This record gives sequence, C-alpha cells and structure tokens, in this order.
Amino acid sequence: MRRHSRRRASALALTVSGVLLAAGCAGATGGGSSDGERVTAPGPEVLDQAEGVTTVTFWHSMGGGALGDALAALTDRFNEENEGSIRVELVYKNSYDDALTAYKAAISSNQTPSLIQVYDIGSQFMIDSGQTIPVQEFADADGVDFDDLQPNIAGYYSIDDTLYSMPFNTSMPLMYFNVDAFEEAGLDPDNPPRTLADIREAAEALTETDAAGNTTRYGFGAAIYGWFLEQWTAGAGLDMCDGANGREERASEVLIDQDTQVELLQWWKQMIDDGLALNTGRETSAAQDAFTAGRTAITLESTGSLGDFLAGAEGRFEVDTAFYPKVSSEDAGGPIIGGASLWISGPGHEPAEQRAAWEYVKFLSTADNQAEWHTSTGYFPTNRAALETDLDREWRAENPQFDTAVDQLEATELTTATQGCLAGAMPKVRQLAEEAIEAALTGAKSVEDALGDAREALRGEMSAYTDSIGG
Amino acid sequence: MPNVPLPSDPRRRARRRRDITLALAFLAPSLLVFAVFVFFPLGQAVFLATRGSDLFGRPTVSVGFGNFAKLLTPEFGGVLLLTLGYVVLVVVPSIVLPLALAVPMAQRLPGMRLFRTAFALPFAYSVAAASVVFSLLYNPGTSVLNWVLESLGGQGRAWLTDPSLALVSVALVTVWMNTGFNLLVLSAALAGRDEEVLEAAVLDGARGPSMLFRITIPLITPSLFFLVVVTTLNALQSFGQIFILTRGGPNGATGVLVYSIYDTAFANNASDFGLASAQGLVLLLVGLALAAIQFGIIERRVHYQ
Repeated sequence: MRRHSRRRASALALTVSGVLLAAGCAGATGGGSSDGERVTAPGPEVLDQAEGVTTVTFWHSMGGGALGDALAALTDRFNEENEGSIRVELVYKNSYDDALTAYKAAISSNQTPSLIQVYDIGSQFMIDSGQTIPVQEFADADGVDFDDLQPNIAGYYSIDDTLYSMPFNTSMPLMYFNVDAFEEAGLDPDNPPRTLADIREAAEALTETDAAGNTTRYGFGAAIYGWFLEQWTAGAGLDMCDGANGREERASEVLIDQDTQVELLQWWKQMIDDGLALNTGRETSAAQDAFTAGRTAITLESTGSLGDFLAGAEGRFEVDTAFYPKVSSEDAGGPIIGGASLWISGPGHEPAEQRAAWEYVKFLSTADNQAEWHTSTGYFPTNRAALETDLDREWRAENPQFDTAVDQLEATELTTATQGCLAGAMPKVRQLAEEAIEAALTGAKSVEDALGDAREALRGEMSAYTDSIGG
Repeated sequence: MPNVPLPSDPRRRARRRRDITLALAFLAPSLLVFAVFVFFPLGQAVFLATRGSDLFGRPTVSVGFGNFAKLLTPEFGGVLLLTLGYVVLVVVPSIVLPLALAVPMAQRLPGMRLFRTAFALPFAYSVAAASVVFSLLYNPGTSVLNWVLESLGGQGRAWLTDPSLALVSVALVTVWMNTGFNLLVLSAALAGRDEEVLEAAVLDGARGPSMLFRITIPLITPSLFFLVVVTTLNALQSFGQIFILTRGGPNGATGVLVYSIYDTAFANNASDFGLASAQGLVLLLVGLALAAIQFGIIERRVHYQ
C-alpha cells in the first residue's frame, strides 16, 4: 500500500511537471520600453573620434554551407581592411523568422544587434518598429546616391522615395525545366512554356506512367509556396494589396481572390487531378527533390536554387531556366524580387557603432563584392556594375542558365505590382495564402471559397496588425 | 507504532523540528529547480494569458479572459479533437506493439539479447533525427517507402500531402520512437515476474492466451499503467515531428495543440504570446484531465504486488 501511494505521487509529479513545462514554454518574454525616438545618421567623423575598435554585431540567416561561407569570407576581408577600427561579428540566428523573433525580444531588453538581416516581407514591420535608421539618411549625410543599385531591387525597399534598408541577398523566381525530358517528349527546349496553357500542353507530353499505372514522371510540380502566388499576381500586372500594394497608403485588404488567382488555382488543381502535376506540399525542399530526382520535369523556384539543381542533376540530365510563366499570354507584369535586406539599428547604439555598420553595409554592396556574392551563392547582384566585372562575366559564360535572371529583371518594368505588397502582416499573408492553395488543391474547399475565406481572414489580420502599432 | 510522541515532550519536539529542517534542506535544491523552471514559467504563462500583445510581443493591457474567449471557436475545438485523436493514434500502438514484441522476447532463447538491443534502439534517436529519416521515407517526390511498395507491385501513397493520411504518418513516427523505451520498460517488467506465480499458474494448467491475459498482463500492470500515462503526455506534447514533416498541414490535418501554440507565438512574425499562453494553459488542463482520468479509472485495475 505504501509503495502504491509513492508510485502514484511520483507519477503524478511527473505528469504535472511535464505539462507545466509545455505550458510555460508559451510564455517567455521580458519587459522593457520602446521609444520611437528618431535618430539621425552620424557622419564619418564619429569613427575617427571613437576610441579603440568599434564592434558591429550582425544577426544574419545565411546558414547552410555556401551562403554562410561566402558571407564569412566577405566579412573576414572587411575586418582585415578595417583592422584596429571596426570589427564585425557575425551571429547566425537561424531562419529569418527566428531572427525576427529574437530581434523582438532584444527590443524589449534593449539588446538589439547593430545590424540585422530581415526578409523582404518583414520590411513594413521593421519600419514600424522604430528601431532603425534608414540607409537613405546615411547616404544623404555622405552626399552619395544609390544609382548603382538595380532599380527593381531598390524599388522593393523604397517607400516614398526613401531607401530604408540595404538590399543584400536578392532572388527572383524562375521556371526550371529538365532538358532531357523535353527532348524525349519531342518538345523544343529552346522554346519553353510561357503560360499556364503552354505548361499544360507540355505536361501532357512529359508525363509518363509505367506498366502498373504508377506515374514515373509528372510534367509539372511546384511547392505550395505563398511567394509563388504573389509572383503570378505581379506577372499579371496586378497589385496583391490595396493602397497601391501598400506603397501609397497602409494596406488594409489583401486582393487574393481576383480572377487571375482563381484561374491559376483552377488550372493547378486540374493538373493534379489529371495526374499531370505532383503535389509535394508546402515544403519547398520536397518539390526540389522531386525535380532533381527527375520525378517532375518543370518546376518553379527561386534563382537561389539553381546551384543546387545543377549539382543535383549533374551527370543525369541537363537543367535549363526560363522566365517565370504568366497566367495568360496577355499578362504584361513581371516578377517581384525577394530575399532579404540589411537594417541598421538606431536607438540604444553609439553613433560610432551605427556608422561602422553603415561602412560594412557599403562594403557588402560594392560591385566587386556583389559579384563575388553572386557567383558564390547564386543570389542576384544588387549592384548593377557587378554584372560588368570580369568575375561575373566569366562565371555567366560558364553557367548561361544564370543569364535568364538577369534578362528577366531587366525586362521587368517597375510598377506597384512588381514592387510587391508592403504590409506588416505580410508573413501572415503568405501563410494564409499557402493554406488557401492547399485547401483548393486537395479539394477541401472550392477555389473561390478557399481564396474568399483567405481574404476574409486576412482582413482581420491586417487590422489586428494596424491595431498593434496603434495606427 | 506503539510510541506515539506526545506534543508536550520537549525532546521529541526538538527532534521533530530538526527532522523538518533537514527535510527542507534536502528538498531545497529540487524546490529551487521547480520554482525556476516550473512554477515561475507557469505564473508567467497565467499572467501573459490575461494580457494583450503589442507589436513586439510584449504584454500590454489586461484583457481578462479575452484570450480564452478567443479560443471558443469551432476551429480551436477542432484542434483539441485532432490532438485527442492523435494521442489515441499514438498511445494504443505504442503500448500494444512493444508488448507484442516483449512477450516473445522474454523467452530465454539464444540471440534474444541481440533482438532486444535492436528493437530498443529507436530510444536513442532524437525527434529531429528520426523525423529527418522519416521525411526521406515519406518524401512526396522521392519516397523510399513508395519505391518499396511499387517494386512489390503496390501503389505509392501521398504520406504527407494527403490530408486523410498525414496524421497517421506522423503518429507512426512517434510510435516508432516510443517503441524502444516502452519495450525496455516492458522487458524489465516481464523479467521481474515472480517465478513462483508463473510455476503455479503452469501447474494449474494456464497456457498460451490464458497465461498471457490472466497471469502475465496482470503481473505487469504497474509498468503498463506507467507507460500509458507517460506515453499520453509525450504524445500530447509532440512538436518536432510535426514541425519537420508537415508544419501542421495539409489543411491543418496535423495541426495539434502544441503546434498551434508555436504557430501563434513564433511563426510568421506573429508574436501573440497572450493567446499562445492561453492555449498553453489549455494544454495543461487537458494533460491534467487525461492524467486524472487515467489515475481514476485505469489505476483501479492496476495490480501492485
């Protein structure tokens, strides 16, 4: 009997502590205050006046081998060149989401890093946070301009003609296809599909089944990725949000159920139902695996995946790239750039530290360094002059697939549609877009209902965000 | 206990006080750990659950039970039902499968040790490592499992992208992970059976199924009960396998409670710590309720020797 009660007590204690831990996990934040004080950019003199070495902490999300190594190599060179005055310390903060979560906690405890890399869709949040100094102010203080910046890239990060953050790693969506499969199916790889109808026609020729009725190759397969929906929308020249994509006034509505988007999802669902497209879910790596394994012949991905695709398909089939397709042939828009940019922290940081961060940001943006970044990672160079460097020219001559991205960006006219939607709730927009696509593709909801419900839900998310900033 | 101490006895009172002091001194380290890692976070969760969240996830004004009121939706009810369904999908096979393996392995045959080690190995895996391995098995485009099925003339399945299958696929990973530990516990329990009882049962004519269900299982009920409670709580807190394999999808088919907490607090720049804490407290209540039910109903049938 004694043994009984002791066991019982210890099992209950185990039960309670286990659940308590799980409950406690949800609540870990600190107190602190935020003051939206406006900080102006210090000039170059503050560094001369500073004593000793000024340390810049840089939170980034460039992990995974090639990216992290390339950033470390550039940073080491910067530290060598500025020995005795500036030292940049790289802190890898895992994914963009994780970095932003950590940044929020740091705001509460006044421990923000000097510099942080934030994904494109976090831009409005960063502006609203009031924690940063626009890079425009540093440039104005120095009397320099951003003429070298590729205009479409600068366009994304500019609001009211002010460049808030410095674009760093920039990507664009492309269509990738398996050249060998095209040739086998009697398709012309020099004339790849350009519209939904084209892709379907090609997919009908590309899809193969074995004797047992299992599909061995699907014509098409792309991840359920909200970014792609934004791209199709911009490709049709349409804004994704009201307020001219949030560029003229704060967006309050996500225009996610327009005819173009409905047409796209109906096409996509039909492709899956007819066995012409493979649904690999929301995980982008699954769609990439399917393409490199030869299970899908056409896919959509960012320019940043080209290196992996070339390596993955090496010796088995040839990979080529084409412009991101359009929903219909009349669509006159173009793709939106994606990726991340660099934000310099203001409040709570010494002028010398702010200035040192700016020096580092400038260093990363030079033509030579962007050429090095481009050729070692596949991210698009933000500096136009980088494309004219010998390094970049030779590399593109060897890897002509990278030219597609250059041509595509040059061919894209900068409009509010191709600037992309600027909204604080943008990460949520992408998540709910993915849920809507998933619901439509799996048949849980009709395309119209899925998109209509998402628009309804996003109206709430957008106003909740606006409420949270007290705007 | 013939010598009941009288409260007026000063020597005994002094000793009693010394005992209490000593007990407290020994308990202090664990109480401190509990305070820091359990009681404080719990208090914090209760506090946050009654607060709104600002742009940076900092607690703002009191909203009373507002966060809990927000949970009174069919969607959240669906999350709770899904979580319970997942727990059942995990717990039942996590007990039955190791039992089915442990009983034959309790025979003293040569080479059994090798099997026991092999079957217990999943115990040594981390959730992340196991999930990555299973993501290769389940991969929608390049599934190893489908390759095997198709080579055998069967049909491949969309393990993670079919909404009706995804929860089962994730539960399977959890069952696989649980099997190792549960097998160890059950093997130890079987080895600890009283030889005399077994011999007596054999003499009385117990064989096969009647031996298993009338003798063996009643003898190991303490271990079985322990596993039911622990496995239930583990299942309730599953996160890693869902985060890595399905991210709650497709169509929310694997969006169990802990994933929902993560989604509210950390994903997509959300930072609604108030609502997430409220969900965390619901998780606490669900865990306590399940444990209470188990202690109230199942433990009555547990046979302690």
